[in-house]
Amino acid sequence: MKNLKLATCNGRPNKRTVIQVGGVRIGEEFVVIAGPCSVESEEQTIGTAIKVKEAGANMLRGGAFKPRTSPYDFQGLGLEGLKILEKARRVTGLPVVTEVTDPRDVTWVCEYADVLQIGTRNMQNYSLLKEVGKVQTPVLLKRGMYSTLKEWLNCAEYILAGGNPNVILCERGIRTFETYNRNTLDLSIVPSIKEISHLPILVDPSHGTGRLSIIEPMSLAAMAAGADGILIEVHCNPCEALCDRDQAMPPHMFEGLMGKLKRLQRTLACLEGDEAIAGGRASLENH
Amino acid sequence: MNLESIREEIDRVDTSLLNLLNERMELVLAARRHKARVEDPEREKELFEGLENRATPLLSREFIGRAFGEIVRESKALQGREHRLIGFQGEHGAYSELAAQAWDGGLVPMPCPGFADVFERVESGLYDYGIVPVENTLGGAVDQVNRLLIRSDLRIVAAVELPVHLCLLVLPDTNHREIRAVYSHPKALAQCRMFLNRNRLEPIHYPDTAGAAKMLSEERPRGSAAIASEACARLYRLDVLKENIEDLDRNVTRFVVLAREDGEETGNKCSVVFSTEHKAGTLFRVLEVFAGEGISLTRIESIPARPGTYAFFVDFLGSIREKKVKDALERAKKVTSRFRLMGCYQEVKVP
Repeated sequence: MKNLKLATCNGRPNKRTVIQVGGVRIGEEFVVIAGPCSVESEEQTIGTAIKVKEAGANMLRGGAFKPRTSPYDFQGLGLEGLKILEKARRVTGLPVVTEVTDPRDVTWVCEYADVLQIGTRNMQNYSLLKEVGKVQTPVLLKRGMYSTLKEWLNCAEYILAGGNPNVILCERGIRTFETYNRNTLDLSIVPSIKEISHLPILVDPSHGTGRLSIIEPMSLAAMAAGADGILIEVHCNPCEALCDRDQAMPPHMFEGLMGKLKRLQRTLACLEGDEAIAGGRASLENH
Repeated sequence: MNLESIREEIDRVDTSLLNLLNERMELVLAARRHKARVEDPEREKELFEGLENRATPLLSREFIGRAFGEIVRESKALQGREHRLIGFQGEHGAYSELAAQAWDGGLVPMPCPGFADVFERVESGLYDYGIVPVENTLGGAVDQVNRLLIRSDLRIVAAVELPVHLCLLVLPDTNHREIRAVYSHPKALAQCRMFLNRNRLEPIHYPDTAGAAKMLSEERPRGSAAIASEACARLYRLDVLKENIEDLDRNVTRFVVLAREDGEETGNKCSVVFSTEHKAGTLFRVLEVFAGEGISLTRIESIPARPGTYAFFVDFLGSIREKKVKDALERAKKVTSRFRLMGCYQEVKVP
């Protein structure tokens, strides 16, 4: 960990990074970033954006440049997709998170998006990390699907050392021997990161599980584990989604999830309040 | 060449044909101002003979005759109707043209090579109106225009404030990664300096924004883009890669509309130009007159007129029908030299 000069707390455990994106303060409030896996059309993107905004999401996600497993899969609309996302932001006011896959696209994506996402497959694409280190647009750095905590933080270090202090981490599931779900969502990484790093950490239960039925319990678990927010894939018409159809959540389900998250947040606040009272009593008893 | 790329070329040629036809109709309207009657059989005969002699294996005499028969018929129909023409500097799609249309959508905008041509063509009666930019929030005063305004006897009949939104335009299917050079008017390039720097694009000066878009469309230089209005994208078959690339979001240009006679409607704003003697306090005495009458000034501009003397432009709120304005003008005349009321007019603010 000795080379993690900027990504770790370095003896200042109380100093946490808060990143302001539009009206959202990541690292301070619980953020919900929702939207389609990829931008397929104006209608689909703006339709979904309006739905997630109504349900209470803080930010919009959507992929224009898609790194896909197969070259024959839908590769994304590219710059055309960015224009659609920009329009969706104009309509809903939601800040936009979108993936950048090529160092040559970094400045261009910054012109349209509020947060740059580095996907799991590009976590260790060092030339891309250096390029996003040169801008000031916040970067959402997903954990590589085979990466350890240390490798992950080293990638964050690349961006921070490059001069961009606005790094947001995101756990999205790792490869294990378990094959029932697409990935194994490693929620233990959330409090672990909180122990050694000051950077905000989000959780992506959609990719983390790849299974619609367990996204909700894992979202609630992420909040309980102390995550600063979640990323949820929502599609206005999941059956017609051009990518990741099995994990796309229909809007009504997302609305239900938002309701439960709000209730859990209140419960957790009560719990923390009790702890504070209990802690206070403990310290009084010590006297 | 596959079918798709051939069709792309055909579309490009059609766009040029349409733009050329439009240019021809503009010339036809200008010609009308010099003709007593629409019909001129001699000229028509000459025109058809000249064209038909240029037949090629693909373009037969009969086809040329038919095609131009249609064009000439439409030209004469246009000449038969009343049109009010307004000159602007630049190519179609220029911000001056957008301002002209915002002022009166019924006018026919006529492109002129330079600002001086706009003035001349209105003075000579070739066009009914001219529209010229006088100042921009980011770029300041348009010196060339102000210089022409000092000497001209044309009347200001309206003013238009137009928000200027600059777009990055590219040829269809251009890969954004290949763009290196960006052509536009120096002022437009300056207004997008930070955008160009961020994306490591090289600014290249071009006489006007719409002209840069037209050049991009016709000459198709590699790895290039143009900065111009969104209207230029439609006119020259270009794609808008990014809208609103100006560094400041409030970028407004003020235009004035010129004519030989005053407008009929009551104005709420006046423009004057004058010189003062080269003595202490002479400018102050003029401004004192307006202050004394409680008249609010909206613009003061000074530009060198002749060596040693300056011309001052002053715009103020008020109508020449008001007594206090009449009084102020009378008194200002006495303490200045070459005092001239350029016009009392309405100002249009485009949202």
